[in-house]
Amino acid sequence: MSGTALDTKTLIKAYERMLFLRVAQQELVKLYMEKKIFSMVHFYIGQEAVAVGVCDALQLSDKVLGNHRSHGHYLAKGGSFRRLVCELLGRSNGSAHGKGGSMHMIDKSVNFIGSTPLLGSVAPIAAGVAFEQKYNGRNAITAAFYGDGASEEGVVYETYNLAALYKLPLLLVIENNRFSINSKLKDRRSARYNLKTIVEGFGLRYERADGNDYHDVHSKAQALVQEIRAKKEPAVLECMTYRHMAHSTPLTEESYRDEDTLEHRLKNDSLKRISNQLIEHGISEKKLSAIEDSTRASILKDIGFALTSPFPVKRALYTDMYV
Amino acid sequence: MSERIIKYAEAIKEATDQLLADDKRVFVLGLGVPQGAGGTTTGLHSKYPGRVLDTPTSEAALTGLAVGSAISGLHPIVHHDRVEFSFLAADQMFTQAAKWNYMFGGGNSVPITIRIVVGRQWGNGPQHSQALYSMFGAVRGLKVVIPSTPRMAKGLLISAVREPNPVIILEPRWLYQTKQDVPAEMFEEPLSKAKVVRKGRDITVVAYGDGLVAALEACDLVGKDASIELIDIVSINPIDHETIKKSVMKTGRLLCIDTTSEAFGVGSEVIAGVMKELALKQKPVSLAAPDVPCPTSTALTEFWYPTKADIAGTILRMLGKPAIKRKLSFEELHLAPSYTHPV
Repeated sequence: MSGTALDTKTLIKAYERMLFLRVAQQELVKLYMEKKIFSMVHFYIGQEAVAVGVCDALQLSDKVLGNHRSHGHYLAKGGSFRRLVCELLGRSNGSAHGKGGSMHMIDKSVNFIGSTPLLGSVAPIAAGVAFEQKYNGRNAITAAFYGDGASEEGVVYETYNLAALYKLPLLLVIENNRFSINSKLKDRRSARYNLKTIVEGFGLRYERADGNDYHDVHSKAQALVQEIRAKKEPAVLECMTYRHMAHSTPLTEESYRDEDTLEHRLKNDSLKRISNQLIEHGISEKKLSAIEDSTRASILKDIGFALTSPFPVKRALYTDMYV
Repeated sequence: MSERIIKYAEAIKEATDQLLADDKRVFVLGLGVPQGAGGTTTGLHSKYPGRVLDTPTSEAALTGLAVGSAISGLHPIVHHDRVEFSFLAADQMFTQAAKWNYMFGGGNSVPITIRIVVGRQWGNGPQHSQALYSMFGAVRGLKVVIPSTPRMAKGLLISAVREPNPVIILEPRWLYQTKQDVPAEMFEEPLSKAKVVRKGRDITVVAYGDGLVAALEACDLVGKDASIELIDIVSINPIDHETIKKSVMKTGRLLCIDTTSEAFGVGSEVIAGVMKELALKQKPVSLAAPDVPCPTSTALTEFWYPTKADIAGTILRMLGKPAIKRKLSFEELHLAPSYTHPV
C-alpha cells in the first residue's frame, strides 16, 4: 500500500470498474463453456486491479496497447463491451469485424490502439506510438501491458534501451502473474535475476506494485505517469498479481502451479480486497450485491445483442488485407 | 547527353531527401543511417535534424518502433543493411506490420517502408550473400518490390512512402553502382505492376534485380538473333501475373531468371502462374542458382550465379539458334556492374 487513503466515492468507482471486468469475463466463460465462442480466449480474471489501477491514472488522450490477455486492458480504457463480445462471437459488428477475435482487441475511439499476442512484440510497437507523441510534441503518453513471460524476450530488453535513449513518454506495465504458459518463474529465471536492477541499469525508472491492490497500483501508476508526462522519460511498473484461470482456458488448475493453489489466489483476490475495504468504509454487503446485479444485467444485455448479431459474409474474407 | 546520369544509391538518396522535404511525417531510422548507409542517406542527418536517426543494434526494437509510429500516422523509412539482420525483426515485419490492418478488420493503416539490402557481394559467402526473396513473397499483407534500375529505385521509394500499406523494398547491393538517367523531380513508379522493359516477339524473359541487368546485357550479346520481350517483375508481392501472361500469349516461350536458389523461387512462382492457364510452344525454362548456399571462393561463385552468357546461351538454345562463344573476364564474373542503362 502506498499513497493517501482513498475516499469512499473513489473506492466505489474503482470497485464498479473492476467488477465490470470480473463479471463480464465470468459471463464470457459461460459462453466459452457453451461452445459459443470459437476464438482462443485468455481470461483476465484475477488481474483486474492492474488494468483498472493503471488506466485510472491515464487520460482519454493517452494511448494503451495490450497483449493476448487484453479484455481487461481494453475495457479499463473504456472500450465497448458490446463490440468486444460481438468480436469474440465472430460477428460482423465486432471491434475487428470478426477478423481478430479475443487476441486482437481494439477501440481507437478511446485510444485503445490494439492488442497483439506475440508477447514482447508489443513493447517496441508501444515505443513507436510514444515516439509519435514526442515527435509531434503531444502531451499524451503511451502505456503497454505485457506479462512476466513476455518480459523475458530479447526485444523487450532492446526496447528498454531504445526508449531510454530516445527519451520516450512510455509506461511499460508488466503483469507478473508468476506463471507463463508452461512454467513458473523460478524455473525460468536465475535465483539472482533482478528486474529492478535490469530496468534501472537501462536507465528507466522502475516501480513494483501489489497487483492485487487497486490503491497500490493506482497510486504508483499515477506517480509514474506524472513523471513520464513531465520529463518525457520511460518507466516500468511491475505488478505482482494472479491469474485465476489457466493460460488459455477457464480451468483453474495447471499442473505446474503447485505453489499457487486456487485457495491462495482467492484469498488474495483483488476484488475481495476492495469489497472488504468498502465494507470497512461502511458500505453494506447488500449495496455491493446490488451493484453486482446491475452490472451483470447490463452485461447480459450486451451479450444478448451480440448473440443475435449477424456473421460476416464470405466476401469479407478478401477485404482489408490492404487499406 | 543528359546531365542526370546518377547511380542507384544516389537515386535512393535523392528520393529520400525529397520525401523528407515534402512531408514532415517522414523520418528515417536504421543502423548507420546518419553515416550514409552506402550512400543512400549521406548528408541528410544534418539537413533534417531529428528525422534521420541512428539506432542501437536492436533490429527487432527499431523495426517495432517504426511499426508503432506508422500506426500513429508517421511514415518511417527503416533501413536494414543486410537481409539476415532484418530477420531479427521478422515478427515485426511478417506478423505485426503485415497483419495489423487485416486483424483489426480494416481502417488500421501501417504506412511503413522497410528498405533491405540483399544479395550478391563478392567475398560474403553463405550468410551475407542471401537474398531470401521468396520469404517476403510468401507473407500476405505486405507489398514487396525489387528496384532493378536507379529510376525504379527512386520512383518505387516515393510510391512506397506514400503508400498506406507496409512496403518492403529489397535492394540488390550488386546494383548500387549502376547508372541511369533519372528525372530530377519527384515521380512514382507503380508498386504492384510488372514492367515490359524491352518489347519482342520470340520469347518472354522474366527477371528482376541483378538478374534483370544480366538479362539486359544478355540481350546485347544475342543482338539481332532473337526478338526478346524482357519483363522486369518489379513486384514479387503481389506478382503481376496478367502482364506476364499477356506477353507469353504473344511469344509462347518463357524463361525466368533468378539470382538465388531455384527452390520456392520467384521463377517457379511465375512459371506456375503461367502454366496453370496457358499452353506454350515449349517447356518453360528456369535459370537460377543451384539449391545450395552461395559459397565465398570466386572459383565456386563462378558456377553459382547465372551470368549474361548463360542467359544469352539459354535464349538461343530455346529458339534453336547457334550458340555464341563468349568467355567472361574475371571482372565480368565477379565484380559489381557499373552498367549504364541506355536513355
